[in-house]
Amino acid sequence: MTTTATLSDPNVAAALAACAAPLLAFAAIFLGVRRFARLSAGLSIGAVTVSLAGAVFLLAANWHGRAPQVFSVNWLVSDTVRIPFGFLLDPVGLLMMTVVAVICFLVQVYSLGYMAGDPGFSRYYGFMSLFAWAMLSLTLSSSLFQLYVFWELVGLSSYLLIGFWYEKFSASQAGKKAFVMTRAGDVAFMLGLFVLLVGAGTLDVTAVNGPAAAKMNPSLITLSALLIFGGIVGKSAQFPLLTWLPDAMEGPTPVSALLHSATMVAAGVFLFARLFPFFSRSPTAMAVFLAIGTVSMLLSSTMAMVSRDIKQVWAYSTISQLGFMIMGLAAGSFFAGVFHLTTHAGFKALLFLCSGVVIHAMGTNDMFEIGRRNGRRLKLTVVCMTLAAAALSGLPPLSGYFSKESILASLAGLDNPVWLAAGLLGVFLTAYYAFRLIFIILFPRPEKMEPEPDADTGSGYATGAPMASALLVLAAATLAVGFAAEPLARFLTGGAAAAHPGPHLPWLPFAGIGLAAAGVLLAWIEFGRPAAEQKGFAEKIPALAALFANRWYIDAVYQRLLSRLVDRGMAWLCAKTDQRVIDAGLDAMGDNVIRTGRLLSTLQSGAVQHRLMVLFAVMILLGLYIFG
Amino acid sequence: MMVPYSHVLALAGIVFLLGMLCTVTRRNLIMVLLGLEIMLNAGALALVGASLRWMSMDGQAMALFIVVVAAAEVSVGLALIVCVYRRTGSVDPNFTEPAAPEKPSV
Repeated sequence: MTTTATLSDPNVAAALAACAAPLLAFAAIFLGVRRFARLSAGLSIGAVTVSLAGAVFLLAANWHGRAPQVFSVNWLVSDTVRIPFGFLLDPVGLLMMTVVAVICFLVQVYSLGYMAGDPGFSRYYGFMSLFAWAMLSLTLSSSLFQLYVFWELVGLSSYLLIGFWYEKFSASQAGKKAFVMTRAGDVAFMLGLFVLLVGAGTLDVTAVNGPAAAKMNPSLITLSALLIFGGIVGKSAQFPLLTWLPDAMEGPTPVSALLHSATMVAAGVFLFARLFPFFSRSPTAMAVFLAIGTVSMLLSSTMAMVSRDIKQVWAYSTISQLGFMIMGLAAGSFFAGVFHLTTHAGFKALLFLCSGVVIHAMGTNDMFEIGRRNGRRLKLTVVCMTLAAAALSGLPPLSGYFSKESILASLAGLDNPVWLAAGLLGVFLTAYYAFRLIFIILFPRPEKMEPEPDADTGSGYATGAPMASALLVLAAATLAVGFAAEPLARFLTGGAAAAHPGPHLPWLPFAGIGLAAAGVLLAWIEFGRPAAEQKGFAEKIPALAALFANRWYIDAVYQRLLSRLVDRGMAWLCAKTDQRVIDAGLDAMGDNVIRTGRLLSTLQSGAVQHRLMVLFAVMILLGLYIFG
Repeated sequence: MMVPYSHVLALAGIVFLLGMLCTVTRRNLIMVLLGLEIMLNAGALALVGASLRWMSMDGQAMALFIVVVAAAEVSVGLALIVCVYRRTGSVDPNFTEPAAPEKPSV
C-alpha cells in the first residue's frame, strides 16, 4: 500500500531539496556566474552534495521497509484526466536515486581535474547540474508523464554533453545522432503512454502497477508494454537502436562515465524496473524483451572484441551489460536486474574514469598506442581498471560476480535453456574482451615500445587528488557492494519474495566463474603471454573482423534506409510538391497578372483617335440615356 | 413643297456620323480636319433646317457663325498640321514622337 505524504514530511522535504538544488545551480551558472569558472564548479558540486545528502538520508530513513510514499500536487486537470506532479518514494526509486547522486558527485569531483583549463569549464558544470536535476527527478517521478518529461530532459543534457566540444565536427554529429536515435524510441514511448492512458485511464506509477492495469484488455497491455519498451530500447541503446552509444563517446570521458554508462542509459532499465509489475502482466511482451536483451548483449559483445578504441570497448560493454540487465528483468527477476544495474553503475563508472585518466595522460584512445607509450606506469589507475574489468567479467569476489550470478540464476529458471546458454556465452565474451584490453595495455610488445619519455614530460602528469579520490571510492564500492546483496534484496522486495526464483542449480556459479576464467585465459593466450601475437581469434578471420568492426552493418542498414526513405521518398515528394504546386502556382499567378495587364493596357494606347472614339461613344450613350 | 424637318434632321445626323467616322478612323490629320468640318456643317445644316421650320432667322445667323468659325478653325488647323509635319515628318495622328533627348539640367 502507498501512503500519501505532505510537504512537512522530512522525506518529502529531503526529496524536494535533493531535486531542486542542481536546478538552482544550473540556473545560477547560466544566468550569473558563468564567467567565474571556479565559482560555477563550486556551485554545481555544492548542489550535488545536497542531492547526495538528501538521497542518503532518504535511503537510510526508508531502509527498513517503509511503505512507498506519494507526495503529489495536481499539475494539469482536464475533465476526467488528472496529471499529477510529485514524488514517489519507493525502494527501487530511492536506490536508483542514491546511485545517481553518488556517481554524479564523484564524476563532478573527478571533472575538477579532468576538465581543468577547458574554456567551457563553467558550461560543462552547468550542463552537469542540468543533468543531475533531470536524472534525480526522473528517479522519483510519481507519474509516467512526469517521468517522460525528465526522460526527455536527460536526453537533452546528453545531447548537450556529447556535443560539448562542438567545434569538433564528429562530436556535433554524434550528439545529433544520439538525439535523433533516442527520439525515435521516445516516439514509441509516448504512443505507449497514450495507449496506457486510454486503457487504464491513469499514468500514475502505483496505479499502473496495481489496480488500474488489472482491468485493462490483455492485448492493450501487450501493445502499450511493447511501445513503452521502444523508449527503453532507445535510451538504453538496445538492438536495433544501439549504434548511437559508441558514437556518444565523442563527449568528455567523465560524461561518458556518468551519462553513457552508469546512469542515463540505465534509465531505460530503471523504467523497466519501475513498471516491472505492469510489464509482467504480458508474457508476450516479456518474451520480446528477453529476446531483444539477449540479441543486444551478444551483438555488442562481439563488436567490443575487435575495437581498438578503449572508450568504444567500454561503450559496447555498456550496451551488453544493459542487455544483460534487461534479460534478468525479463526473465522475471526484479532483484537481479536492479542489482546488476547498481553494481554495473559502480564498476563501469570506474572503468570510464580510469580510461579518462589514461587518455588524459597518453593523449590517445587507441589501446595499442597506450600500451606502447607505457600506460601501465599509471599504477593506481591501472590497478583500479583491472579491478573494474574483473568485476565486469564477473570474477568473485567483486560486485559484478554477485549480480551476474543472480541474473544467470533467473535465466536458469526459464523453461528454454537457450537463454541460459546465451547468458553464459555473454559471460565468456565479456571476460574475453575486457581482459583483451587490460592485457594489451599491461603487456605491450617490448620490440614496439617507445623509449621512455623524459621524466618531467612523461611522468609529470599526476593523477590529481580529486581524480584519484573518485577512483578509490568507486573501487571500494566495486569491492564491497557485492556483499550487500542480501540486505539489498530485502530492501527491494520488501523481505517477502525470494531473491532467487527458479530452481537452485549448484553448478551454476561454477559454470559462470569457469566461463569467465576461460575468457580471461583466452585473452591471456592471445594477448597477454610474452609470445602472443596480439591478434584475437575474431580478427584472424577477415570477414568476421569486418562484420564486428562495422557493427554488424547496422549503421549501413540505417544509412540505406535513410537514403531510400528520406532521400528518395520524402525528398522526391517534396521536390514534386515544390515543382508542381508551389512553383506552378506562382507561375500561373504571374502569367495571369501579365495577361490581365496586357488586356488592360490596350485601353491606354496613347492614340488620339482612340480617346476620341471613346469620347464619342460616351456622348452617344449619354444622349441615348437622356433623350432616348 | 416643304421638306419635312425630320428629313433634314436625319440627313444632318447621317452627315454628322460620316464626319465622326472620318475623324476617328482616318490616318491622316488633314482628313481628320476634314471630318471635323463635315461635322460642323452637319450642325449648320440642322440649324438651317430649323430656321426654315420655324420661319426664324436665328438659325441662319448661327449657320453663318459656324461657317466663320469653321474657316478660322481650318486655317489654324492646317497651320498646325503643317507645323506637325515639319516637326515629325508625318501627318499620322497616332504618330508617337521619338523620345526627345534629355535636356541637361541646369
